[in-house]
Amino acid sequence: METLMAIFTIFTQPQLLLLVGVGTFAGIYIGAIPGLSVTMAVSILISFTFSWDVYPAISLMVGIYMGGVYGGSRTAILLNIPGAPSAIATAMDGYPMAQKGEAGQAIGVTTVMSFFGGLIGIFVLAVAAPFVADFAITFQPRDYMLLAVLGILLVGSLSSGSLVKGIFAGALGIAIGAVGRDPLTFTERFTFDLRLMEGGISFIAVMIGMFGVSEALQQLQNVNMKAVRQKIDRIMPSFGTVKKYLPLSLQTSSIGVIIGALPGTGGDIAALMAYDHAKRITKKPKVPFGKGAMEGLVAPETANNAAVGGAFIPMMTLGIPGDAVTAIMIGALFIHGLNPGPMLMVDQPDMFWFIVGALLMANVFMLIFGLTGIKIFTKIVEMPRSVIIPLILLLSIVGAYAVNNSITDVYWMLGFGVFGYFMRHYGYPLGPVILGVILSRLLDDNWRRAIISEREDLGSFFEGIITSPLSLTLFIAVILIFVSQTSIWTFAKNRLFGKAS
Amino acid sequence: MDPEFRGDIDHHDGTSDATPGGYTEQRRPGELSFAIFLTLASLFLLYTAYGISGFKALSSPGSVPMATTLVMVVSALIVTIRTSRLNKVAHETLSKDILPVMVILFIGFLVIFGLLLKPLGFVLTAALFLIIAIKVLARKGWGYTLTVALVSLVVIWIIFRVVFTVLLPVGILPEAEFIQFFRNLMSGGAS
Repeated sequence: METLMAIFTIFTQPQLLLLVGVGTFAGIYIGAIPGLSVTMAVSILISFTFSWDVYPAISLMVGIYMGGVYGGSRTAILLNIPGAPSAIATAMDGYPMAQKGEAGQAIGVTTVMSFFGGLIGIFVLAVAAPFVADFAITFQPRDYMLLAVLGILLVGSLSSGSLVKGIFAGALGIAIGAVGRDPLTFTERFTFDLRLMEGGISFIAVMIGMFGVSEALQQLQNVNMKAVRQKIDRIMPSFGTVKKYLPLSLQTSSIGVIIGALPGTGGDIAALMAYDHAKRITKKPKVPFGKGAMEGLVAPETANNAAVGGAFIPMMTLGIPGDAVTAIMIGALFIHGLNPGPMLMVDQPDMFWFIVGALLMANVFMLIFGLTGIKIFTKIVEMPRSVIIPLILLLSIVGAYAVNNSITDVYWMLGFGVFGYFMRHYGYPLGPVILGVILSRLLDDNWRRAIISEREDLGSFFEGIITSPLSLTLFIAVILIFVSQTSIWTFAKNRLFGKAS
Repeated sequence: MDPEFRGDIDHHDGTSDATPGGYTEQRRPGELSFAIFLTLASLFLLYTAYGISGFKALSSPGSVPMATTLVMVVSALIVTIRTSRLNKVAHETLSKDILPVMVILFIGFLVIFGLLLKPLGFVLTAALFLIIAIKVLARKGWGYTLTVALVSLVVIWIIFRVVFTVLLPVGILPEAEFIQFFRNLMSGGAS
């Protein structure tokens, strides 16, 4: 009970409350301004807040995360440019609504529904995480290893690109994470006998490069894109409208929480899945989908905000990130000397409840800021890209430099930025790389622990997997992801379901 | 709006992990070379990983690196083969869509930024970078460029140097004296 009170830490310290508020406010704009993304912002922020205490740093980042996921919807509706990846589905019906002069209503409904979705996500997090953590204590090293592999594979397979490219990206991430001296035996790995490489590659440099520099370089190609301004009328949605979409929003929130909680998948995938779900179950939409259907707004917006709470579940209980942003949040916790995983919930439960409180507060701030200040908003968002891009690049350099005060990190960041730029162009997902870098240690340590405890015997290792229900489930899930991508699966599916459809 | 439209102007930019960039049915300019490069690089890394500890034991420090680089080699090879079978995108060229002059120019700017950061110091390098970058991108008069660049630099400097207390290379500018001057001014005003 005492630890539960930590939820209220946030309310008793005005400074923290202020930081959550500032974070949420900044997050809404970062999410809304095309070219700035939450992943980018949080990864740059880690390096700036690492001299702070844990609580203020986390407060700020939680606010930015929550605000950013919501903020992307604004530009999606007003300008047809999703400000954040999780708002891609929102643009499909939001922009047509704005074209019909219903932009205000669209923004109002998205805000209230995002709040609703966020609330459900946080509620599930608060209820489920302690149970998952209790359960996670019984996990064997091999289960962690399988979970890490599953997480990396899931990002690749649930996204619409090619799984093979996702697998490559994940493996690359693990390899990057392995660079430097091996923590167990002190053997050099991938150092090419360079002293510079012995300490490994700073994962913050990789993150900022992949999500900051490469995106800014990408944006150089649409510098001159002109935005169209929309008229905005009343924003507060009527009670009737909210009530009408409540059943749908409950379903899509559940989709959001579950997709968010799966290791490796986050708000963007949740939003697209919820959109598809809404399309399937809404038999007679008042306005057809893609032409401004309210259902097409409600579904992705509830789902992506619910996914925030969901994504914190595997992050806090297993130390396995739910998506790219939580991967970076884990990085932030590492830097502040915390070790996310089941032991965090046992040793420092107040940390967990503090984060729940911060999320809750960020959600409330999101509702407040979301329903006000639209006029200024449209002005700021029209900031020209010719100014934003140089600023992002500048911040990226400062961010990469600030962590270790080293120019080498700046060059690593540039290298990964250029590399990530090509990966984006050729359809390689970047999420698995970051997940791989973060999970590399966990995967490596647990594999070696598992195989040493089986006395280097692969046979008894697999016997262990088959006899433990949990390991077996995870193992089958990993296999299924592979099989689902091969032609055998398509063939079998056609044989089984082909006649019905 | 096309319901298949996802993301930015050409929806191949890969801002999201739910919809990575690229085309699924076609090959973009340079995509095959990139895939071949990845395959060769992975092979080299596999060779390096083998050098860590060879096949000594399953729990040796080289086992996970070897497994991951093997996965890299195999997946890069599959990607290369698949890519080579696809038709090229008709209307795209390497210099227009993948690596325009502007991108190369900016990569160059960033490299120079890194080189100058230590000797010149953060403030001067950043000012130089912002002025040139905004001038090149916005193509507006010097008045606009200088105002925007310097105002944003001052804001960034205040936020990071004062609020976040990030240490940045000082270089040739007497930055510390400047801060001290301000502090004196403030304390002088207060007393």
